[in-house]
Amino acid sequence: MNVFDNLSRFVGHSVAWLTLLMIVFSLLNILSSWLFNSSSIAIQESVTWMHGFNFLLAIAYTLNKNDHVRVDIFYAKMSFKNKALVDLIGSLFLLTPTALFIAWASWPAFYLSWRVSEVSPEPGGLPMLFVLKALLLLMPLLLIMEAINQIIKNIQLIIKETHNATRDPN
Amino acid sequence: MEWLALLMFICVCLVLLTGYPVAFSLAGTGILFAMIGVQMELIHPAILKNAGSRLFGIIQNPTLIAVPLFIFMGGILEKAKIADNLLNGIARLMGEKPSGLGVSVILVGALLAASTGIVGATVVTMGLISLPVMLKKGYSPSLASGIICASGTLGQIIPPSIVLVLLGDVIASANRDVGMGNDPISVGDLFAGALIPGFILVGMYILYLLFLSKFSPAQFGANLPVEDSHPINSREEKSIVDSQQDNKNTADKTHFSSQSKLQALKVIIAPLALIFLVLGSIMSGVATPTEAAAVGASGALLLAILNRQLNLKNLTSVMRSTTRTSSMIFMILIGASIFSLVFRAFNGDDAIENILANLPGGLPTAMLVVMLTMFVLGFILDFIEIVFVVVPLTAPALIALGADPIWLGVMIAVNLQTSFLTPPFGFALFYLRGVAPKTVKTENIYKGVMPFIGIQVLLLILLAIYPQITTWLPSIIYS
Repeated sequence: MNVFDNLSRFVGHSVAWLTLLMIVFSLLNILSSWLFNSSSIAIQESVTWMHGFNFLLAIAYTLNKNDHVRVDIFYAKMSFKNKALVDLIGSLFLLTPTALFIAWASWPAFYLSWRVSEVSPEPGGLPMLFVLKALLLLMPLLLIMEAINQIIKNIQLIIKETHNATRDPN
Repeated sequence: MEWLALLMFICVCLVLLTGYPVAFSLAGTGILFAMIGVQMELIHPAILKNAGSRLFGIIQNPTLIAVPLFIFMGGILEKAKIADNLLNGIARLMGEKPSGLGVSVILVGALLAASTGIVGATVVTMGLISLPVMLKKGYSPSLASGIICASGTLGQIIPPSIVLVLLGDVIASANRDVGMGNDPISVGDLFAGALIPGFILVGMYILYLLFLSKFSPAQFGANLPVEDSHPINSREEKSIVDSQQDNKNTADKTHFSSQSKLQALKVIIAPLALIFLVLGSIMSGVATPTEAAAVGASGALLLAILNRQLNLKNLTSVMRSTTRTSSMIFMILIGASIFSLVFRAFNGDDAIENILANLPGGLPTAMLVVMLTMFVLGFILDFIEIVFVVVPLTAPALIALGADPIWLGVMIAVNLQTSFLTPPFGFALFYLRGVAPKTVKTENIYKGVMPFIGIQVLLLILLAIYPQITTWLPSIIYS
């Protein structure tokens, strides 16, 4: 466990609680529409916010736990070294560009929203919409940190496996 | 520049085959091609900036918030040992017939499918719980594995399934794109449309088992001498052996078994009520899918408390696994939308539409081509990728050619389910292989699923000839 592992897991474990909170808030919303015949936009939007925080901030954590689905027809049969190679090259040329691209494409909307202190277009909705838009910048940041983690780990693994192979008398 | 779109599609398939996570393979390949396109001045960078608002749209999509809640519900039900209790209860109700256990497994699979909706989870759970019991009862390994794979994949088609939620969202937007916005499609429509085909499928599975037990009882272990001194490994086996012994006690037979049947009924009613609550509230329009999912998840928590299975450890583990599954699904959605943004920038979508629209034979041929493509892609891709990448590219053309959107959605779901059952690459087979003991050979699994694949294909043909099977229920509910 290094500092990157700790970061990804701390964030992931923290936002995991939001799954339970989403259920509680959705129930509150149903209750309020039954009892007072009006559903609260603020509660509805807070469920959306929790959902956004939950899945976006946990993407790096999911990567850390190796839970992003793979097409593993060939991957499953590869040696440790080849798996590490796939993951190293993927981290450099697929993962990192993805994170940078998302940040690049999301920046203008965030910046504009922040400048004008955008609020929800719905009456009675939540303020500070730029916080929700900032998630699309925070998510790539966490992803880049995890990418660095993956790159270091896979290089170490490749060196170790190569070393073992040369030392092996066979 | 359509050739670049084609090249991009071939490249992404190759990249996917390396085994790097699908979401980042899709996005990364898209971005690399976008850079080439910008260099060659075929794509204006401003088009790529659209990705920002698209991604924000994913966060705000109200239908998709139901996804983590349904995953949570399934996770809690699994921890609550609902599957064990159900199998236990239904097997008691079925009594002593050799085919009774197999039919119970299919019914439990259907109920579990309705409550969890994730193929992998259901196959694994059913494999762990019911495979040892069936083998012990003398079921042939092929038959037992066929039953488990088939009932485990029912989660695709029986609502409220996550596949149908995702598919409903994608088909609804395809329907809008084609300009059929005055007749909008909702997730509830798709649920209603899939209900009857789902029942037909379960019915055909059961009929097949009853038929087989008449003509080939040996496969059900009918000739096996019943031993009373079975070593008892697990709770559920014990109770099934118990129920056999209950039935053998000639004197108290009726009294005893009717009491245990009453108990069994109690075990079944709670999860059944939960499923009806969730489905009913969505289809009657009382609740949105998200609200219904929240109600279902709370009901699942309640059941877990009643079964004394809810503690902090279980809860944390479900919250974390829900978060990871949800993140995985939404990251694929993000990757797929970046990929298709670039694919569209190269006019790839127009090219596909042209090809499909100009096939000789119109809709039937186009449908066949798309279905076969999805079937083959189902060998290497999970349903999420197919729903997010292939469906948005092909559904608008098919709807424009006159396909009913609900029918199209159900056909896709059944088709993918068939694909996941088909050797050698079907996902369900891998999942079962992972949890099956060594005594069950891989050939057994392959052989066992064959009749069920036949049944699936039969259903597909039925649906193709009689689309009313899918459209009738939605039309009377929402008329």
